[in-house]
Amino acid sequence: MKLIIGLSIGIAFGAVLQLGGASSYRKIMGSLLLKDLDIIKLILMAIAVGTVGIYALDLVDMANMSIKPTYVAGIVIAGLIFGVGFAVAGYCPGTCVVAAAEGKTDAMMTVLGGLAGALLYALLYPAFSGLIGVANYGQITFATALGVDGIWIAIPFSAILLILMFKVLKDRYD
Amino acid sequence: MQDEPVISWKVAGAMVGLLLILATALVKPLGVSTQYVVTDAVLLHSAAPALAESNEYLSQYGDKEDWGVGYGWMLVVGMFIGGGISAFITQRFRSREKASLPSMWRSEFGESTPKRMLHAFVGGGLLLFGARLAGGCTSGHIISGISQLTIGSFIFGIAVFASAIFTARSLYRGRLAS
Repeated sequence: MKLIIGLSIGIAFGAVLQLGGASSYRKIMGSLLLKDLDIIKLILMAIAVGTVGIYALDLVDMANMSIKPTYVAGIVIAGLIFGVGFAVAGYCPGTCVVAAAEGKTDAMMTVLGGLAGALLYALLYPAFSGLIGVANYGQITFATALGVDGIWIAIPFSAILLILMFKVLKDRYD
Repeated sequence: MQDEPVISWKVAGAMVGLLLILATALVKPLGVSTQYVVTDAVLLHSAAPALAESNEYLSQYGDKEDWGVGYGWMLVVGMFIGGGISAFITQRFRSREKASLPSMWRSEFGESTPKRMLHAFVGGGLLLFGARLAGGCTSGHIISGISQLTIGSFIFGIAVFASAIFTARSLYRGRLAS
């Protein structure tokens, strides 16, 4: 059953990303060059809807959350590496799969590069796993850190994101 | 333009948010990058089983995910199918000769297909190396993680965009100056 749910949600996710332009090199680079902010705003909208929904589910104990551990040093280094890859490829690990499905051969190369990068990480894991222990705060969220129900953070956070999307972030075309 | 999105960022973003809520209610939040390791584990197990067994990182993923047929893997397969279907229906599917060079890339870096392929491959390698070190990517950390108010995901998101914006500006210096 979980497999069918995964497949169905995946089909919808892939289609929405494709229809929304998230698998387009031009749209992604437009956002990273701060010229065309649609993809950044798409992500912020997903978070604004997602965070309120997830913490509403949590109120009735229906959220199957998966909180990733916060190891500050490793995550900062990882984010900096990921960001370089994001701008060089012009895709991210999910959007290159969708773009590959559109027939874009450069995105297929990004998928292959991704498989190689993940394998390289696996082979070098013993050398890097130590980073995971540095400044590791475990599965910490703003809700657990402040000791309040997440919904009380989710609602104002989502409101701030909506203001950002509709009032603050403006496209700067050439 | 063939690249022009069919639906607006508002609609697409809200739909991704709703899918994330649905996924969290039914199974668990969205994530993609783990599946690259799962795929590696499957491939390496058929190519070099001894190496795969002995690798601390690959062995933990392969087993846990039933060798590739878990929920997460089906999600990524679904993304490929869904992206392909919608590209086909909206006639965005690329013909082979136009497929590899985004016009924006061409205007900055020229007509070299191998060069674009190299960028795409190296970029992909950095993406997944970073994603695996962080434990997630745009979907798992930035969308799903921040939506769960995970502090590490906020940190990851800030680091990613700072680095990506800096790198993009360095790559497109010429375009920005003109």
